[in-house]
Amino acid sequence: MKHLIIFFIVLYSTILWADEENTYGWNVPNSSLNIGGYLDMTYDEKREDKFLFNDIAILFSANQNRFDFLGEVELSHVSLDGKSNSSTDIDLNIERLQLGYALSDEQHIQLGRFNSDIGYWNQSPITILQDTTTTPHMVGNFFPKATTGVLFHQHLNEENSFSLTFQNNKDMAHQDNTIQVEKHKALAYYGVDEDLSWRFSFGEYQEDKHKKARYLGVGSEYDGEDFSLQVELFTQQTNHNDEKPYSGYVQSTWHFKENQDAVVRFESYRDNELEVKEQIYLLGYAYRPTNNIAIKGEYIYHSELPLNRFVYSLSVLF
Amino acid sequence: MRGIFLLLLSMKLFSFELLVIGDKNFPEENLTIEEVRAIFLDKKRFINEKKILVMNHETNHPLRRCFEETILEKTERSLERYWRKAYYQGKRPPKVVSSMEMLFLYLNSIHPTIGYSDVNATLNQEVRVLYRVECLEI
Repeated sequence: MKHLIIFFIVLYSTILWADEENTYGWNVPNSSLNIGGYLDMTYDEKREDKFLFNDIAILFSANQNRFDFLGEVELSHVSLDGKSNSSTDIDLNIERLQLGYALSDEQHIQLGRFNSDIGYWNQSPITILQDTTTTPHMVGNFFPKATTGVLFHQHLNEENSFSLTFQNNKDMAHQDNTIQVEKHKALAYYGVDEDLSWRFSFGEYQEDKHKKARYLGVGSEYDGEDFSLQVELFTQQTNHNDEKPYSGYVQSTWHFKENQDAVVRFESYRDNELEVKEQIYLLGYAYRPTNNIAIKGEYIYHSELPLNRFVYSLSVLF
Repeated sequence: MRGIFLLLLSMKLFSFELLVIGDKNFPEENLTIEEVRAIFLDKKRFINEKKILVMNHETNHPLRRCFEETILEKTERSLERYWRKAYYQGKRPPKVVSSMEMLFLYLNSIHPTIGYSDVNATLNQEVRVLYRVECLEI
């Protein structure tokens, strides 16, 4: 009950905050500091805690001359069924803590914990920014979602850029469900031509002294006025017998009304670690009543695992 | 023939020129459309080692509608999507001014500053015209 009250207070205040100028958060007067955040609540038929605050996060960012700073602290997995009464059920995590420096307009370097510059989904991995509530299997299974290290980004021209990622230390955040690494090296390329873009990335990571993995991914996106089409394919090899030969998806979003989208996704993967080879079909709908609120519903059909279900979410950026 | 002439004349009568303007000491004489686009989408932040202050008009301002359609080549919806993602990555949209007077106040006091205006508003102002485009009045 307590959690529900907090939820509605936060929701109400974020609706009041919504405006038409695409500005989010609160700018601290006489400073460049902006404080905002996001939350998302999901209903998942197959989960023990059906109603869950998946994420409640605070975002803070600032920039001064050539320096920029970004932090994201997340409070995860707060049950709305009243099952998370114990404070140990609540997961507080540093998602991002990064300090950047613009060497020039073309070159940027950043230190800290940041989202790995790999694939399309990982650039905006929160529900409010996505067309669906659930993510493809490759996200969180084929490459580390976050890196604690250094990222160097170079623009070759207006259309092409690449980045180099390097980590050789423990992850700054505590253990969660994602791949957490002690070493990570990656090269990523991104190109864009009007509404069409493409990505290519490969890298190597080490979770502990024994387990190493290499991954390679390609993807492309058409982001048009009436519809968007996204396709990605990843493969992973390891030094154990648990490699993941492939995971790919095709997703199309049709913007059929001003605030409404229909989404279809077809996905196929083979994961020797989970000993699964299957296809996943998704049919979804998203409604965005204001800039900063999204209400989504989707049905997911799995060809092998008993995970056929409806998932609904309400997400807010504030 | 007469019809085409009348159509062209009416288009001329119902069009105005939008000027992308910088402060009088703006380090460049002119900009390409790609450079203007990059500055207003927070992809290009510096010019001659100095951070650029970028000014926008309010959402329903006719100049803004023309600017977004002809220079940014984006609809309101795709800009919303763009800035949602950009905010998560720590970027900010341009500052919004509520009047031309406010725009010129910034242009006269902070360097380098960039914004846009119609021709008439710039007549008695010391500004540098960086790019110009024709807009149809709706």
